[in-house]
Amino acid sequence: MKKRLYLELENCIGCRSCLAACTQCGGHEERNRNYVYDVNPLVDRQTMPLMCLHCVNPACARSCPAQAIQIHETGAVLSALVEKCIGCQNCTIACPYGIPKFDTEQNLMYKCDLCIDRSKDGIPPMCASVCPTNTLQWLTDEEIEQKQNKFNLDNGKWVTSMPYLEGETNVKVNLPGILQGISKLY
Amino acid sequence: MHMDNYKNPRDNFFKEIENINHPDETLVPTHCSYCAMQCGMNLRVNTKTNKIIGVEPRYDWPVTLGKMCPKGVTAYQQTNHPDRLLKPLIRDDASLKGTKKGFREASWEEAYDLIVKKFKQLQADYGKDSLSVYGGVSMTNEKCYLNGKFARVALQTKYLDYNGRFCMASAASGINRSLGIDRGSTVPWTDIPETDCLFLAGSNTADCHPTMMFRVWAVQERGGYLIVVDPRETPVARRADVHLDLRPGTDLALANGILHILIKNGHTDDDFVKKHTNGFEETKELVKQFTPEYTSQITGVAPEKIIKAAELYGKAPNAILLFARGIEQQVKGVDNVSAYINLALVTGNIGRPKAGVGTITGQGNGQGGREHGQKADALPGYRKITDPEHVKEVAKVWGIEPEEMPGEGVSAFELFGLMEKKVIRSMYLLCSNPVVSAPDSNYVRKVLKQLDFMVVSDFFLSESAEYGDVVLPTTTWSEDEGTTTNVEGRVIKINRAQMPLGESKPDWLIQVELAERLGRGKYFSHLKTSEDVFNELRLASKGGKADYYGVTWEKIKKQDGVFWPCTKEEDPGTPHMFLDKKFYFPDGKAKILALPYVPAAEEPDEEFPLHLTTGRVVYHYLSGNQTRRIQFLKDMCPEPFVEVHPETAKKYDIEHEERVRLFTRRGEVIYKVKLTEAIRKDTLFVPYHWDFEQAANILTNPALDPISKMPEFKACAAQIEKLEMKKVQ
Repeated sequence: MKKRLYLELENCIGCRSCLAACTQCGGHEERNRNYVYDVNPLVDRQTMPLMCLHCVNPACARSCPAQAIQIHETGAVLSALVEKCIGCQNCTIACPYGIPKFDTEQNLMYKCDLCIDRSKDGIPPMCASVCPTNTLQWLTDEEIEQKQNKFNLDNGKWVTSMPYLEGETNVKVNLPGILQGISKLY
Repeated sequence: MHMDNYKNPRDNFFKEIENINHPDETLVPTHCSYCAMQCGMNLRVNTKTNKIIGVEPRYDWPVTLGKMCPKGVTAYQQTNHPDRLLKPLIRDDASLKGTKKGFREASWEEAYDLIVKKFKQLQADYGKDSLSVYGGVSMTNEKCYLNGKFARVALQTKYLDYNGRFCMASAASGINRSLGIDRGSTVPWTDIPETDCLFLAGSNTADCHPTMMFRVWAVQERGGYLIVVDPRETPVARRADVHLDLRPGTDLALANGILHILIKNGHTDDDFVKKHTNGFEETKELVKQFTPEYTSQITGVAPEKIIKAAELYGKAPNAILLFARGIEQQVKGVDNVSAYINLALVTGNIGRPKAGVGTITGQGNGQGGREHGQKADALPGYRKITDPEHVKEVAKVWGIEPEEMPGEGVSAFELFGLMEKKVIRSMYLLCSNPVVSAPDSNYVRKVLKQLDFMVVSDFFLSESAEYGDVVLPTTTWSEDEGTTTNVEGRVIKINRAQMPLGESKPDWLIQVELAERLGRGKYFSHLKTSEDVFNELRLASKGGKADYYGVTWEKIKKQDGVFWPCTKEEDPGTPHMFLDKKFYFPDGKAKILALPYVPAAEEPDEEFPLHLTTGRVVYHYLSGNQTRRIQFLKDMCPEPFVEVHPETAKKYDIEHEERVRLFTRRGEVIYKVKLTEAIRKDTLFVPYHWDFEQAANILTNPALDPISKMPEFKACAAQIEKLEMKKVQ
């Protein structure tokens, strides 16, 4: 059954285990490809991961003059092919979230490939595998729909920005607000 | 080497996944080297070089489901780290103690000969008790057990203690006093998401035990409640339904105040209290004065928050109450623990699934390591060295006469006092780094420097090893096998993934070989493997409270760990404690205790007007001897800092990232300021994982809890000062 990466931003504790684990995926050359930010560091301890959302119509791939960014049949937007990438960094500029990273020594872009050799076989990417808080989850569409129903605020919106943030994405995101709309047990 | 002694049931499934099973690699299932969550992990081992090269999630481990914190993900980088000690080191020039200088590599034979010569000489000159052993609980049960036997039988000294005194000692004493047995947690961790109200007292769970966070959040996602007690708005407190933001050191008043409301508002389970507890009436009388207003005056927590927390806990169909170092590392740590357990006892929230109490143990084997006789007053199976019957039972297993058993010694910090007085002339330190982890570190350093002879066993040259005359290279957790007992009280198996690097040896083997050279071989030579040690531990614990007799390595493998007590081979173990409502006292009743409030040993005053509390960050573990060497963790948090509320900072005219002088009666340290509104205005916080000039424990107060001998790391009085001001003066 097809599973997707799903982000429950409110759960993040800023441990950056996802960054450490990213380096552990075979083919990632021990470089991490995601980000974790302190949302408002002088005020509270809220943090959030920023992951590639694997756009259905990815700006990074569209902007690539060398067609180095391939889209896998699962929808995962892969890292630039080493033999094609010309190091122009168009992709980083084009991405609405600035996801692709750049290796200045090798003059090559690298980005999240959703640990394609794991995720194509149904195994969660490393980040979602280790995430201690379930900020990063690996769910079926049915499970995501259940969450959408559960946290329905009955105001025409889900607590996430739906249907999507910028363009349609393969990764689904629930913005902070998981506790809104939960009915308490007692 | 036996890679196949733990069969992963999903092995066949994973074989197909190319990203998990790489060519020329094998996966060895084991657990993390760090905290008591003991997260499951698979170590990736290159089959050509036989070296550990990475980590893979262990999805089928029921406690953590493949999850790991950043320390866990990078833990494997310790094993083949360039800083590893590969040969014994000897330092001939004692004047260089306290530095990294003057060590030369030596053979094991030369190191052993020197140790034996020095130990024998000191004992001849000053008596058996001139030697001391200082252990730690990041070691396996096998090593912790053997360390106790080594001190008492091989060295024949009474001066043995361990770093659990800085970790779980208050929890152990408090739980024993209230419930009669210290099985850390009365419920397995898999119960947490099923409870209706989770009460966390003095636990910065998100930073200290990250991999239990998915279960914590699950409580709220189900519609349950989360209550957090902490002077700081930590990542877990940030999302709490009630955050009780108390002044450091006032937990006992807060617990009494909550108990006051529980009784006043009729949330007590009178039937449970009557049938299964003693002490309710007396306690009820004592907490009468702890009205919300009175409690608020002491704790600084708003009365309505105290009432709300009590109501939520009191009304919960099932509640789990967990506590950690925040309440335990105080001069009244034991009373704090019992005061929180009182809440569970009066509401009957104990002795059934989804309801219970527990301490969130810090060190990897904090639970098992405190049960089997590595402590000044303890013998295996949680027996007492002061009880002649207990001594007789253990002496029989060890093959010594009961009269030969040394008496009760003193606690870890008190050992330093006896070293200062020259009662103790030597220390054999293993698996601990007290120069960083003990309070008042300037004093500790001074004392260690005076020792006649010190032996340190470690795999890195720790700050404490810098005081050694001999340093023995020991193995990391991944180069030996054995058991640990996790935060739940579940005995689990650590598997060996790589042969020991260089000439390093596991501590149990070092102790067997030393015992032989000390002429005590007949008590140790039969222990050829760590499983031999475990089987002797089973016998030595048999009949004690922490009875491991029925735990076998085979059974651990078969059923994903075994919860003690497990008294017989056919006994599957005890995931839930007290299901029969029988507590471990002669009348079977738990103790509700009347505990009068006392303030911290050092309260703020004019000279030192702020509270200082210490704790951890998610990227580092304990004294940092391991994690400060791991690049990723170092990059994420390279140095300590002092957290200051912006309003407080304004008063002192200090800014974010400015360096300030932080000082207490014991010393001063210069820290970078981290401004955050997520801390009380009257409180400062410093993480304690760093050494020397940056050590938080230069500042902390060594006042000890009278029962557990736990130092008061969590509360002392401090002052900050702008650096430039000093120059001007």
